[in-house]
Amino acid sequence: MSSIRVNPYPMPDLISAVEQLRQRENTETLQLATGSRINQPSDDPAGAAQLAQISDQSSQVDSFQRSVSSVSGLLSTADSTINSVVTALQRAISLGVEGANGTLSDSDRADVSAEVSGIRDQLLSLANTSYQGQYIFSGTATTQPFVADNTVPSGVRYAGNTGVNKVTIGNNYQLRINQPGSAIFNGPGADVFQSINDLITALNTNSGIGAAVNEVDTAFSYVTAQRVFYGNGLNQTQSQQTYLNTVKLGLAQQQNTTAAADIASVASQLVNDETARTAALDAIGRTPQTSLFDYLK
Amino acid sequence: MSSLFATMAIATGALQAEQGALSATTNNVANANTPGYSRLVPVLVENDPVIVGSIAYGTGVSLQNLQGIRDPILQLRIQEETQQQGQLNSFVAGMQQVQVNFNSSTGDIGTQISNFFSSLDQLSTSPSSLAVRQGVLTAAGNLATAFNNTADALSSQQHNLDLSIGQAVQQVNTLTSQIAALNAQIMTAQGVNQNASAFIDKRDVLIGQLSSLIDVSEIRSDNGLTLTTSNGTALVVGNQSFALSTQSNPSGLQDVFAQGKDITTQIASGQLAGLVQVRDQKIPALLSSLDALASGLATALNTANQAGFDLNGAAGGNLFVPPPASGTGAAGSLAVAITDPALIAASSDGSAGSNGNVAALSAVHDQAVAGGQNPTDAYGNILFSVGNDVANGSAELSSSQLILQQLQDQRGSISGVSLDEEAANLVQFQRAYEAATHIITAVDEMLATVINMGVTS
Repeated sequence: MSSIRVNPYPMPDLISAVEQLRQRENTETLQLATGSRINQPSDDPAGAAQLAQISDQSSQVDSFQRSVSSVSGLLSTADSTINSVVTALQRAISLGVEGANGTLSDSDRADVSAEVSGIRDQLLSLANTSYQGQYIFSGTATTQPFVADNTVPSGVRYAGNTGVNKVTIGNNYQLRINQPGSAIFNGPGADVFQSINDLITALNTNSGIGAAVNEVDTAFSYVTAQRVFYGNGLNQTQSQQTYLNTVKLGLAQQQNTTAAADIASVASQLVNDETARTAALDAIGRTPQTSLFDYLK
Repeated sequence: MSSLFATMAIATGALQAEQGALSATTNNVANANTPGYSRLVPVLVENDPVIVGSIAYGTGVSLQNLQGIRDPILQLRIQEETQQQGQLNSFVAGMQQVQVNFNSSTGDIGTQISNFFSSLDQLSTSPSSLAVRQGVLTAAGNLATAFNNTADALSSQQHNLDLSIGQAVQQVNTLTSQIAALNAQIMTAQGVNQNASAFIDKRDVLIGQLSSLIDVSEIRSDNGLTLTTSNGTALVVGNQSFALSTQSNPSGLQDVFAQGKDITTQIASGQLAGLVQVRDQKIPALLSSLDALASGLATALNTANQAGFDLNGAAGGNLFVPPPASGTGAAGSLAVAITDPALIAASSDGSAGSNGNVAALSAVHDQAVAGGQNPTDAYGNILFSVGNDVANGSAELSSSQLILQQLQDQRGSISGVSLDEEAANLVQFQRAYEAATHIITAVDEMLATVINMGVTS
């Protein structure tokens, strides 16, 4: 008699099969719980490295977005401040035109002059506007930029500097976020405070009012032109915000393709493995029950 | 010619032989679940006949031997695969513990690198705010701590592996001395033609255990069994065993010595090889990658900080304590150099509100700091190498397990005890025994007939 002997003890095989299934079930359960198929680097080494890069990029985009919103806050504050400056100058011009009217009495002209003085104070305060504790027209200095000073002809001295700051709001994308105050209020031949001072003097002396009004008008035009810088900046932050949202969405999608578990197939695989394990356990329960000894009398 | 007494002698011989055969079955059944047991098969041989004239009279049966059924070549394959598996087992277990340090979490190095650069972006919008500056310092501190923790965890794991290596060496020594003792018993038994199957089984089990620890080659010769490592270092020669020892090397780790020779790097497989591989290759390589990253990052940020001016208008200094020039230990010792947030050099022109130098600090994010790669890519590379080692090791381990299982199956089919077979043998030997007793009864009756012949009552 010769027949192929089989291993009479299949138990270790069956147990190891059960262990393997159990391990797969654990992995699948973890994938379902986290929704991710990469829960440790060994699950997909290249994917894990890619995920680390995606998550860094995504954190960078987050902070770009924070910068953009902070910068746009600053820019819109500056923009509306300059808008107020422009309005004040307009008012000063119309007051000057009113004061040039020869029919005006001295006391009426004095009232007009007083109102223009009020405008000067308002302009000084506007020029010293701050955003989140930082003067917005001081260049890169942190000191109050415009100081009343009677020793200078215009009556106001610029104490800031000409530095400019740039903020990174995208990869290799730096946005300039300020104009030094001197570039706005002390334009060449268009000094806001000088022109207002001259207007006040002209009104007080009732001479050269027309020329003084022209001077204020020149300053008005100059400041209005400077406003474009902030308008452009705001436009840029808005379009960058939109762009960053798109990038963020792209990164989320990339993360999804790299790491997301295919929930449906993992779930059905889990059910299959459970069934297989039950079957293997059933087989273990049955194997060693009988031998020829049971049939010998 | 045959006599009644000769017939009686044949039947008695048969009784003894069948009884002996039955004892093999009994022993097989008793050891059905003993690991490493090789079933015994009774070797029954026909006795030499007595020739009278032209007739050859048979003289019955005798039990020559109870033979243990085993396949030495298969046994060798099992040992080889066990060595392979031992190595992969300890390698994968070691690397899995390493990998824990690189699971993405809020505290891992990659996340802290991102957080640090985010804090710089905030500084860029509020360069003179002390609160925001403090945020940058805190992020820098967290980054340093992440490097410190990871490096410490790797070093202490290296130390644990070192302890395991010492333990494995002791196990090797215990096993080799036991094997040498069994060798002596086997040689004695075989010298007087005794059945040494039980000792051989035991020795095979011990060699199996030894194989899971270290690479073992087996040489069989007339004077017993010689075991060496694959590079020829003797472990057991006949009844003599040679103990391995450990000696501390300059880095405080144990090297494995055999008869005065350092064999640490020559252990080719088995648990010891896996342990040595993780302790002496993988962990040092990872530590040096982390050191390079920490040192490159700290140096680049220091250089950037020095290019600017702090909140007080003074030239910037170091942001991090300068890493050692060699880079060795940089990850473990990385520390922030300043505690005063005003000392961060955000300004490029000396004025307090300037953020011009923040861009220089932020630029380090995309600067090649280690191995020609930017910080995130360099960290991604480390992640990949750890993950890849675990993934590859695990895959090899499962295939090795599968192979070993198949080999064990094969061994089971050759040497394992089948209860069905034993039951059948039992019946067979029992019937033969019964038949022999019937013959004795018959001969007895025949003798009685002969004795009573001619006697009249």
